[in-house]
Amino acid sequence: MISFELLLGVAIVAGFVGAMSGMGGGIILIPALTLVGIDIKHAIAVSILSIIATSSGSASAYARDHITNLKVGMFLEMFTIIGALVGASITIASSTRPLYIAFGAVLLGSWAALLFAGHASWHASTQDGFTRWLELEGSYPDQALGETISYKARRAYYGAPAMFGAGLIAGLLGIGAGAVKVLIHDLIMGLPPKVSTTTSNLIIGVTALAGTSAYLAAGLIDPGLAAPVVLGVVLGAFLGTRLLVKLTNKAVRRFFLVVLLVLAVEMIIRGLRG
Amino acid sequence: MDSSNLPIGTKASHERELQLDMDVLVGYILQTGVLLSMALVGAGLFWTWLRTGRTALDYQINRMNLFDFVMHEARLVAHGMFGPRLLVNLGITCLMLTPFVRVGASVVYFAGVLKNWKYTLFTSIVLIVLTYSLFLR
Repeated sequence: MISFELLLGVAIVAGFVGAMSGMGGGIILIPALTLVGIDIKHAIAVSILSIIATSSGSASAYARDHITNLKVGMFLEMFTIIGALVGASITIASSTRPLYIAFGAVLLGSWAALLFAGHASWHASTQDGFTRWLELEGSYPDQALGETISYKARRAYYGAPAMFGAGLIAGLLGIGAGAVKVLIHDLIMGLPPKVSTTTSNLIIGVTALAGTSAYLAAGLIDPGLAAPVVLGVVLGAFLGTRLLVKLTNKAVRRFFLVVLLVLAVEMIIRGLRG
Repeated sequence: MDSSNLPIGTKASHERELQLDMDVLVGYILQTGVLLSMALVGAGLFWTWLRTGRTALDYQINRMNLFDFVMHEARLVAHGMFGPRLLVNLGITCLMLTPFVRVGASVVYFAGVLKNWKYTLFTSIVLIVLTYSLFLR
């Protein structure tokens, strides 16, 4: 039996680091939980449950500030939830070794994304007929610029199947996969960065619920583990967003690069050794 | 057409206002759900600590979906077995119902207020898939 204090501590750190880096809690939480001796499937299940709390918490503020695009979110959710159910079913049926390797690969991907992170400049794009039919457009108040930015999304026909893939990764590994969703919003659908991240947050909550239900039905949600972890992650995320150190700070960024790489290598080695 | 540039009082600007109200509604549902569930889980852990002097809850739930889970809790309440575990379970249930209620409220809002049938259909599909997933075995 792992002590409550240790679980709470691990969860607070994971939530804090996740919020501060903008990567979300799961990507740090799951490797950390497996390091203190939790089985990876239980770690994945409790992580996806805690993601409902962290994403809904931040999504609530963005929605009230009118930055989130509800229509974009609700259209794409149709695809992510099905992906999450498929992903969770694969994990439930899978043996643990491939899960370690897959998680290690995602950590390596996040490491690479952070290493090569650049800010693509957003510019208004022309809309296709299908996306117009879906009414995927809007405007939001940009406080930094002091004006209202109007935008029209495009290529929803590519965005939708890509979102199935994002949901699959989320359900499979118990993470929010926010980075994948933001990439789809930015690169495929041409949403402005703020709308893209906040709408991704909204989608993550519902996607995590679909995954959580599958894990609950499989008997993988343990309230004794869930209670301290969910509470800790939410507390850590709250502190992390308040401090707002974000990745502009070079030292912080370098620290995350090292953490991600170490965790990635560690997970892959454990997967290979069995 | 960008509805935000239209003069106030037109149908489009009225629709835009209703959509802004929906943002607020969704925001409050999410916030209330998360705060309530965290309060329940926190209270449950605190109660365990008061009763036993420790905070560990060493139990697992067997394979059951959210519906079984809720029914199980309802039976405990009906038998007056109101304990810290029940609070933790209620907290977890409340957390899982938060996005579900958000989607449900969106269906009602798209249908009843915005009368947007396209999005009533889309959100209904999300609600149906989520309902199915909550009844998974």
